[in-house]
Amino acid sequence: MKIQEIRELIRLIDQSSIEEFVYEHDGTKVHMKKPAAVAPVQAAVTPAVEQAAKPATEEVKPQASTQPVAPPTEAKPQELPKQEAKNTENLHKITSPMVGTFYAAPSPDAPPYVKVGDKVKTDTVVCIIEAMKLFNEIEAEVNGEIVEVLVENGQLVEYGQPLFLVKPE
Amino acid sequence: MAHSSQSDTRRKLLELFSEANGNFISGQKISEMLGCSRTAVWKHIEELRKEGFELEAVRRLGYRIVKTPDKVTANEIQLGLKTKTFGRHIHFEEEVTSTQQIALKLAYEGAKEGTLVIAEQQTAGRGRMDRKWFSPKGTGIWMSLILRPPIPPQKAPQLTLLTAVAIAQAIQEVTNIVPDIKWPNDILINGKKCVGILTELQADPDRIHSVIIGMGINVNQTIEQFPEEIRAIATSLSIEKGERIQRAKLIQEILLRLERLYEQYLQYGFRPIKLLWEGYATSIGKEIVARTLTGTMKGIALGITDEGVLMLEDEDKQIHYIHSADIQL
Repeated sequence: MKIQEIRELIRLIDQSSIEEFVYEHDGTKVHMKKPAAVAPVQAAVTPAVEQAAKPATEEVKPQASTQPVAPPTEAKPQELPKQEAKNTENLHKITSPMVGTFYAAPSPDAPPYVKVGDKVKTDTVVCIIEAMKLFNEIEAEVNGEIVEVLVENGQLVEYGQPLFLVKPE
Repeated sequence: MAHSSQSDTRRKLLELFSEANGNFISGQKISEMLGCSRTAVWKHIEELRKEGFELEAVRRLGYRIVKTPDKVTANEIQLGLKTKTFGRHIHFEEEVTSTQQIALKLAYEGAKEGTLVIAEQQTAGRGRMDRKWFSPKGTGIWMSLILRPPIPPQKAPQLTLLTAVAIAQAIQEVTNIVPDIKWPNDILINGKKCVGILTELQADPDRIHSVIIGMGINVNQTIEQFPEEIRAIATSLSIEKGERIQRAKLIQEILLRLERLYEQYLQYGFRPIKLLWEGYATSIGKEIVARTLTGTMKGIALGITDEGVLMLEDEDKQIHYIHSADIQL
C-alpha cells in the first residue's frame, strides 16, 4: 500500500462518519479508529509487513523526514498537540491539497495574504503552496475569521496538513 | 488592441491551406469547403494579407500562401498545426500584462482544454517569487495553455516536468540543438536559460478545475536585447543557433509534443515522462546548491522520485526530498 493511498484513506475517513476502519490485504493491515470526535483521526498501521508499514508511520507524522532544506527544527512536532487542542472547538481547518512549500505572501517582500484576526470569505486567497514551480492559491472555503496560522512562511507542508484555523461565521 | 477569437470559417480556411502545403487551391473549392460565397473567401484572404501573409492569386489556379509573417497570431499558428485539441482555440493579443492573467480569466469563464493564450509582448511577465520575466515585442514566445486534467490535485506538479520535456523535444526538432533541463523545468542551452515555465493550479481539495501552464521562450532576441544584468545567465535560441527561428513553427511543434505527452501521461502515468525527463536532465549525479526561503543546502542530485521530487544527498549521506527551490549548478 502506498503512502498516498494511506493518506487518502485517512482523509476520506476523517471526513466521513465512519468511526472505525480495518483494511487487510496481502499481509498489510491498516487499522484506523476515531475516538468519538475528541482527538483527530489516529492512524495505526500494524506492521504485519514491515516494509509497507515502516515508511507509512514515518510519513504520517508530518515533517519528520521530508523537511528538505531547513535545518532540522525542534519546533515542528509541537504543532500536533496544538491542533488537537483546537480540534475540540468548532474551528474550520484549511488544509494543504498537496505536498509543497507554504508561502504566506505572493512575494518575499509583500505582506502576508492573511494574518490572525483577519476576516475571510470563501474565495479569499490565504496562501500559496508551491511544488516544482506549480503554484496553488489556496482559498479559505469558509466565511470566518483567521484564529491561528499553523505553519511558517517557506515551510514544507504535507498533503492534508492543516495550515490555518478559521472560526466560521 | 488587435485581438482575435477566431471564426470557424477562418479555422477551416487555414486547415485547407495547411493541407495544400504551399500549393494552389481554387477559389471555387474554398468556397465549397467553407460553405460561403467567393466574395466571403476573398474577404478572408484580404484579412490574412493585412496580417502580413503573402498570398498569390492566379486566375484558374486559385490561391496559395507564399510567405507567412513571423507573427504568433492564431492564423499563423494554425497554418500547419497537427494537434487535435491543443491550440485549436487561440486567444491572441498584441500586448498584454501577462498571458497567465488572461488564461486564468478565460479558464474561470469555462474555456476548453487546450485553449492557448499568446501575445507578441508582455508588459508584466513574471516568474517564480514574482520575479520579472523579460518579454519584449516580437522576439519570443509568451504563452499560456489551459488544461483540465482528470487527476488528483497533488499530482499536478508532474505536469511542469512534462511541459519541460515537450519544449525540449520541440527545440531539438526545430533547431537540432539538444537542450538541458534543470530541475524542475528550466531549459538551458550551454548553461544559459532560454525557457522558463510557471504553472498555476485552480482546484478544490479533490478536483482540479484548471491548470494554466505559462511558458516563456527566448527565441529571436539578440544578446543586446537582454537587460545587462541577465546577459551572463540568459540566452535565446537564435543566439545559440546563429540564425532566426520561425516562432510559429516552434509553437506548433511544442503544442504537438505537449498533446502527445499529455495523452501518454493520462494513460500510463508519470513513469514514461520521467524517463524522457531524465534524458534531458543536466544536474543528475552532480553537486548542486538548492536555495529556499528557509535555507541553502548543498549536495549531490541523485535523481527524481516517481513523483518528480528532487532527491539530494548531503555530506552525511542523508537524502533530502526537495519540492521547491532555486537550483544552482
